Amino acid sequence: MSTSLADHLRALPDESLAALLQLRPDLVVPVPADVAALAIRAQSRVSVSRALDGLDQFTLQIMDAARLTRDPADGTTSVDGVLAVATAGPHPPAPTSVRAALDRLRARFLVYGPEHRLQLVGGIDEISPYPAGLGRPAAELDARTAALCADPAKLRRTLLAAPPSARAILDRLAAGPPVGSVPPGALQAPATGTDDDIPPDETNGGAPTGSPVRWLVDHRLLVRVAGGKGGTTGMVELPREIGLLLRRDTGPLGPLRTSPPPVAGTPREPKAVDSAGAGQTMEVVRHTEALLEQLAAEPAPVLRSGGIGVRDLRRLARVAGLDESTAALLLEVAYAAGLTGEVELPGSAGRYGADQQVLPTAGYELWRAGSLAQRWEQLARAWLTMTRQVGLVGQRDDRDRPITVLSAEAERAGAPAARRAVLGVLADLEPAAVPTPEEVLALLDWRAPRRSRGREAAHREVLAEAATLGVTGLGALTSYGRLLLAEATATEERDTDDPLGVRTETEDAASTAVRALDALLPAPVDHFLVQADLTVVVPGPPEPALAAELEMVAEPESAGGASVYRVTSGSVRRALDAGYSADDLHDLFRRRSRTPIPQGLTYLIDDVARRHGGLRVGSAGAYLRSDDEALLAELLADRRVGELALRRLAPTVLVTPYQTGRMLAVLREAGYAPVAEDATGSAVLTRPRARRAAARVSVATRALDPLATPRLPLPRLLGVVEQIRRGDATARAARRAPAAVRGTPSTGPAPVHTHSDALAVLQQAVRDKALVWVGYVDAHGATASRLVRPVSLGAGYLRAEDERTEMLHTFALHRITAAVLET
Amino acid sequence: MSGGPLIVQSDKTLLLEIDHPDAQACRMAIAPFAELERSPEHVHTYRLTPLGLWNARAAGHDAEGVVDALIKYSRYPVPHALLVDVAETMDRYGRLQLANDPVHGLVLRALDRVVLVEVAKSKKLAGMLGAKLDDDTIAVHPSERGRLKQALLKLGWPAEDLAGYVDGEAHPIELAEAGKDGRKPWTLRSYQREAVEAFWAGGSGVVVLPCGAGKTLVGAAAMAEAKATTLILVTNTVAGRQWKRELIARTSLTEEEIGEYSGERKEIRPVTIATYQVLTSRRGGAFTHLDLFGARDWGLVVYDEVHLLPAPIFRFTADLQARRRLGLTATLVREDGREGDVFSLIGPKRYDAPWKDIESQGWIAPAQCTEVRVTLTDAERMAYATAEAEERYRMAATARTKLPVIRALVQRHPDEQTLVIGAYIDQLHQLGEYLDAPIVQGSTTNKERERLFDAFRSGEIRTLVISKVGNFSIDLPEAAVAIQVSGTFGSRQEEAQRLGRVLRPKSDGRQAHFYTVVSRDTIDTEYAAHRQRFLAEQGYAYTIVDADDVLGPPLPTVD
Repeated sequence: MSTSLADHLRALPDESLAALLQLRPDLVVPVPADVAALAIRAQSRVSVSRALDGLDQFTLQIMDAARLTRDPADGTTSVDGVLAVATAGPHPPAPTSVRAALDRLRARFLVYGPEHRLQLVGGIDEISPYPAGLGRPAAELDARTAALCADPAKLRRTLLAAPPSARAILDRLAAGPPVGSVPPGALQAPATGTDDDIPPDETNGGAPTGSPVRWLVDHRLLVRVAGGKGGTTGMVELPREIGLLLRRDTGPLGPLRTSPPPVAGTPREPKAVDSAGAGQTMEVVRHTEALLEQLAAEPAPVLRSGGIGVRDLRRLARVAGLDESTAALLLEVAYAAGLTGEVELPGSAGRYGADQQVLPTAGYELWRAGSLAQRWEQLARAWLTMTRQVGLVGQRDDRDRPITVLSAEAERAGAPAARRAVLGVLADLEPAAVPTPEEVLALLDWRAPRRSRGREAAHREVLAEAATLGVTGLGALTSYGRLLLAEATATEERDTDDPLGVRTETEDAASTAVRALDALLPAPVDHFLVQADLTVVVPGPPEPALAAELEMVAEPESAGGASVYRVTSGSVRRALDAGYSADDLHDLFRRRSRTPIPQGLTYLIDDVARRHGGLRVGSAGAYLRSDDEALLAELLADRRVGELALRRLAPTVLVTPYQTGRMLAVLREAGYAPVAEDATGSAVLTRPRARRAAARVSVATRALDPLATPRLPLPRLLGVVEQIRRGDATARAARRAPAAVRGTPSTGPAPVHTHSDALAVLQQAVRDKALVWVGYVDAHGATASRLVRPVSLGAGYLRAEDERTEMLHTFALHRITAAVLET
Repeated sequence: MSGGPLIVQSDKTLLLEIDHPDAQACRMAIAPFAELERSPEHVHTYRLTPLGLWNARAAGHDAEGVVDALIKYSRYPVPHALLVDVAETMDRYGRLQLANDPVHGLVLRALDRVVLVEVAKSKKLAGMLGAKLDDDTIAVHPSERGRLKQALLKLGWPAEDLAGYVDGEAHPIELAEAGKDGRKPWTLRSYQREAVEAFWAGGSGVVVLPCGAGKTLVGAAAMAEAKATTLILVTNTVAGRQWKRELIARTSLTEEEIGEYSGERKEIRPVTIATYQVLTSRRGGAFTHLDLFGARDWGLVVYDEVHLLPAPIFRFTADLQARRRLGLTATLVREDGREGDVFSLIGPKRYDAPWKDIESQGWIAPAQCTEVRVTLTDAERMAYATAEAEERYRMAATARTKLPVIRALVQRHPDEQTLVIGAYIDQLHQLGEYLDAPIVQGSTTNKERERLFDAFRSGEIRTLVISKVGNFSIDLPEAAVAIQVSGTFGSRQEEAQRLGRVLRPKSDGRQAHFYTVVSRDTIDTEYAAHRQRFLAEQGYAYTIVDADDVLGPPLPTVD
């Protein structure tokens, strides 16, 4: 068959072959050596699977129809055969649409050959074993079932006789997939219908019910098949014939839908949509900046498993006033946009390799200087293209470890495609139409069922993230979001179309999306309002220069559309520290304020400025003080001590940057008589010190005769004696233990003393309350023996009393190696 | 982009630029759901709180309307997330209802079964809920009504209270607007009428009006609306007698119908005025006067100066949920941060008016606030610098240097009735001698107090020195100058109440003056800044002057 496909491909004109390669680009990576290799690749499971991934639901169903109508002998089918099956249902699709679907399949060479002898690409059966969700023909499964299927009247009777619970199972399997696993025991349970023989069912409410699966298997409607993990779980399969019979109402292929499900979308006011979205973009930019500022102030360490720890995320979110999921999204987007990056900590290469921290990058500075709309566009573009599924953050991975922000576990190559797909659905709608998430998901599922399966959560996340980032507003795509999407798609197409970059960059710096958003966003403001409660309100987004000034002279209180600051004595002091003078501040407020400056603010600035610098702090190496002001004046004038760089702080105090030692030396050399003093002000007088070795103890303190016997006091002697006696008793006890229990194989032949013998001995001893030597293996594997009086025996344990220590011991029976009665 | 007057902040504060032409319309639109937080001269701050949004729901506003109002008046795009949050918050209200079941009495009924299950499992409600009647209904013990509502509020599922109020024992009360006993006819002011209407429509709640704006009349009008026996709780006996005087003058009530329940007298009449003090007095660990709450079938309970409500009364109030409750205050700022308890037990804020609005309507006197900074002498500074931390405020506040400044201030207004208010008795005695003025303090008998106040009202005494007893509920209409020399640390509401002493409108509409004398460069200044915060947020701009300017040649007039 593969040669046949190769022959087929060989016979094609170049254009058709090129068309195939365009539809299935994976075939040329790498470029196959010849047509035979191409044919083999085109039939490989991976390639076929990829080709199917891009197909819509209807086309896939027609593919199934082609598979169902294959001639069992040579595996071919015909257009007519496919048409017959496809239009067999009560609501048959138009033959043209079926033909169109077939053409799509033929263009991809999933189906090839002339119309009356269509062949299917190999490998298709490996990908999905059950075409159209139907089982294998009965003949392949079970002879008796085949016999039943061969008799339509009997089959119909049997079906009608099925109890409701069994019928429900049949309907479920008929809708596909046609195999189901049954719980262990279900096939052994009595069948439904044999009700008289089984006791009433307690749990399900009295009436006795058997197992419906057992009934179905007994009546040959289901066939047991091998499969499932382990032997306990059985698998049953619904034969194709019965499945087709059950699909009478819908047609053999199940419900067919030739066109995508409609996405209605409630219309909203376009202005309201744009406004809500624009409001959100301002928030996103502001929150991102807050997060990154916080990251700059306190960088987050990178975990060894990658990503930022949960505690750091929580901290960042709290400071920025966000919930954790939003903070995670913004951090991921900022990272994808290149605004943050990892930095190796210098000198931290310890046992675990270099430590890393996440910090804003140099690109962040550039970003911050941009306009609101530019900054947002940078973030939104990064979001569109980043291969990260942020919704996974906070969930647990396969090894039950939490997935952290920026870790490798949240990487999903399909994420950008999912975003394009979802936003594409929104973009195809009327402007400002709001679809429900369910509608969007249904459409995506129809467009590429194989791709969207299992991605519902990811698609929902895309909708939520788009709302958070302000790409959508009130649930509809915003005008600037639409432009951004179009631009991103255009860029991509141009890039793939123009790999050498022949065409020059015609676009100017500001994209249309940025311009559209700019028009929606408030213009920056360069003034503020000052109020008597010392709050400063900037009624709009502040100009960068104004923001920088306010950051310096006031404390931020609330942010959003406007910003509110409060002037406090602390903030005024900060501004003074930064080099503003009181006049500068008065001037700043006069220049920027649209409202008269309250007298309280003027007074506050003057008052803080008055006290500012009232205390002076500096450092000095040493000081020189004297009550004799004249002496200090003389010193200051003395050239010989000029090298000390003395400075007069007060009439009685001079300071020098040098240490006391040098000062003393220089002063003494110059003929002065200084005295050093310590921290408490008392004089430190020194004299030359002689060098000495470390102190030693004289021999005179030792005992007179080192060989004399030490004298022991009586209590200590008694203690020693008792210790000896105890050791002796232990030794004797051990010696008394019979060889059998000592478990020392060296003493003669090992006694054949079985475990059961030991048990018998112990039981006897319990009855007689006799003393027994028990040999056992302790928890460390060492053998030991003990003379005990058994108390009880049971539950795998022996409880016995040790006469010597008067303690109750418990021995695990399996550890006991021997037991011998004390003689 | 509409050029509206409102700016929506992401921390859910709303900034209203009041010089904008649409400001008034916007204020009307957002007032039902947003709480006025600050009202300085240019930009008023409102806040969206869950409580405020739920109250709006209770009053019949829906989320759609709130969102529309925000979008309509907002100058800038409103973030989508905030709109979603508003809608979701409002949606939480009313999923649970407290209702009267004809068979089972008070029940908690769910319109959303899942919420009821969630709530019933909560540990915070343990013991408040009774038997489960069916899937959607759980019995509630009537005495737990208040606590249950409070707990549900904390859980974020506020219940709609449909159980209603008891009418109480009927008693005819009318407002005597025609004038009684030969007095001049009068009418309720517009804001007083609005306050009463808002309160009555809501059932229970708090009315916030500036000092001197006639809160007593709001109480009287509420009583006239209820026409039932009323219990009035006030801070002290003098305030109680003022209530009594006012009620006799302004309503159809007579002397015999009003009882006083205080340390001195224990009368229970159709209208009974009791003090917080007597209710919270204990004998042998037990509250002995609690029976008062059950002594009659009260139809209305009025709490005067509700911001001072002592903690034990909170607990009794939780049991009074079936009765209408009216809280009155000028400053709903509690230094203990329990504003939330006031709201959930007495009721939400039903009416609030910015001070400056009432002032511009002429119902309270315009006031000029001045902070006079006194520089301590070197000796005083040295003493202050070495004082223990807990002594520092007292040292700074009672500095002798303040005395000549105070006298200069008193002399500046030779024709005005002047109050000098302080917190430290020693200092007040010094002042009394220095200014040659009588002193009213805690130990002054009620009789003596009334005598002094009467003399002050009649103008016999020009200057009165009063201690903390003067903080509240003293009606001295002619006082036009208040000089504050020391206070209870940084208490914001004390400052506001003291200003309130001079805010009664003057017969000739002249300005009131409020001076606060503080010691420069001490903790006194810091506390003063904190104390002024409430008034500054109400739009009172403090002018700061140096003591030298006061003592020196007279200043050119500022107004």
